[in-house]
Amino acid sequence: MKNKPNSAFPGLRAGIARRCATLLLASAGLFAGGMQSAHALPSFARQTGQDCAACHVGAYGPQLTPAGVRFKIGGYTDTDGKDGKVPLSGMLVGGFTHTKKKQDEAPTVHTDRNNNTTLDEASLFVAGRLAENLGAFIQWTYDGTEHHSALDHVDVRAARTFDVGGKDTVFGISVNNNPGVQDPFNTMPVWGFPYTSSAVGFGGGDAATLINGGLEHRVIGASAYAFWDNSLYAEIGTYRALSQSIQADTGQHRSGDMGRLDGDTVYWRLAWMQDWKQQSFTAGVFGFDTAIQPDRISSGPQNHYHDVGVDASYQFLGTRKHVGTIYTSYIHENQRRNDLFTKGEATNRTGHLNEFRINASYYFDQTWGVSAGRFITRGSRDTLLYSDGYANGSPNTTGSVFQADWTPFGKEDSWGAPWANLRLGVQYTLFDKFNGARHNYDGNGRDAKDNNTLFLFAWTSF
Amino acid sequence: MALMKKRMIVPVRLLYGLCLMTLAGAAVPAHAAGDIHRGEDVFAQECAECHSVREGKNKKGPSLFAIVGRKAASIGDVVYSDALRQSGLTWNATSLDSYIAAPRKAVPNGKMKYDGLGDAKAREDLVAYLATLH
Repeated sequence: MKNKPNSAFPGLRAGIARRCATLLLASAGLFAGGMQSAHALPSFARQTGQDCAACHVGAYGPQLTPAGVRFKIGGYTDTDGKDGKVPLSGMLVGGFTHTKKKQDEAPTVHTDRNNNTTLDEASLFVAGRLAENLGAFIQWTYDGTEHHSALDHVDVRAARTFDVGGKDTVFGISVNNNPGVQDPFNTMPVWGFPYTSSAVGFGGGDAATLINGGLEHRVIGASAYAFWDNSLYAEIGTYRALSQSIQADTGQHRSGDMGRLDGDTVYWRLAWMQDWKQQSFTAGVFGFDTAIQPDRISSGPQNHYHDVGVDASYQFLGTRKHVGTIYTSYIHENQRRNDLFTKGEATNRTGHLNEFRINASYYFDQTWGVSAGRFITRGSRDTLLYSDGYANGSPNTTGSVFQADWTPFGKEDSWGAPWANLRLGVQYTLFDKFNGARHNYDGNGRDAKDNNTLFLFAWTSF
Repeated sequence: MALMKKRMIVPVRLLYGLCLMTLAGAAVPAHAAGDIHRGEDVFAQECAECHSVREGKNKKGPSLFAIVGRKAASIGDVVYSDALRQSGLTWNATSLDSYIAAPRKAVPNGKMKYDGLGDAKAREDLVAYLATLH
């Protein structure tokens, strides 16, 4: 996923220097709804001998079928047993972005205020089996809108299957740099719909929960998980902030450092998956607890975040001729803003933020797809925290996303298989409310609907 | 000329179909009642992630083209488990049915990651479909 701190935050684009900790609370929006990274890696197909369509709805990542879920939980190590597989892949995402009304300032110094044709991502991956029980997904991404490259998602896993009570049980460890990147169910924010979106348009409001991309690529974490009988999934882990020097070495902008994470940081996940081959469903709960000291002072006041989410999904797979999916999630975040309050950057010491997402898709012949989603972000008002660029001190944003796409390859007899895949699509994001209001949310006459974003994209991997 | 060719095709197809039915019947007498079309759907639902029915197309598992009558673990381009190689199985209606029903019971320590298909009618349809793959 892209990390675009200077372009992602409208507040910064407007030249308003907001402290990074404040941004975590109030300005993670384009992380949340904006550019989503993309997983559709032919190196996995080459390793397993399977088609992209075996593991991905619509024959393109990152939307996983139950087979894809098992492959990820298995540590990216499953194979057809043949030697000579090289776990390397590449990916390009480019597109044309048009917003209903031109933006107040150009999203980046290399783009215009509207009608941008961009190379959004050029990524290289080490992705696949490294040893019998060791696999990795490591992504390095060049951002064509920023002319900048950085370490993107990292998920290195060790996993092994044991017999527990007569049932196969996978035990694994994930080391990763983004809470939720290790999750296999496409309901949490990191891998949720839309699976790609414009780097220079609008994908959501500016406020987002912490687990919704607020820490990505600036932390390192480890979690242990178990997957019993292809059904019950349980995971627990913890995270620490990367030092500022490591963040800089891996390409992250120094201005985006969120500070130091408390030692009691906990990530947890519990889910059930039922795979009937012709259809499947999942249901689960997840959470993330941490406290952040923005100035990295050991005795300084902290901002506390307590995120709890529930999620569910359903897939009709049938004979794979007609495939339908529904995903939903709800995240509730409680905040205790001791540092922000002390420094006069929040009116209230406590507050909350809720995010609801629901989306559905239909694919014909694993090639032609249509999708629609609804996103609703609501939270308690705070006139200081949600000040510049917000109306009424409110973080509320609501909107919808519609997408149609064509994935000509990725099937058994496809051209270039298993070396190439392609998705062409058109996506439209429309806003009913943005940063607290339908009209004039920024005080300068900009309406929510002015941010409606058309994105035509080409997304290829090899 | 084109009309003549068309007329020729019909009996040839009929003959080909009869041959297939005869072969299938000879190979899998216990599954003659299986619904081939439904079996094709069962294949798509249960097997196609890992197997192809195209000749020479080995995916994670071997091609199932001409599976009936074939000795287990006999395709050179596929990495089989020791257990399957040493099983001495030849795929026919009975061995396919029991393997598909419970792979790990039929071939302990095999590598096929499939829990099995409990529906006997679905297995019957599937085996009937597999028997047509020649």
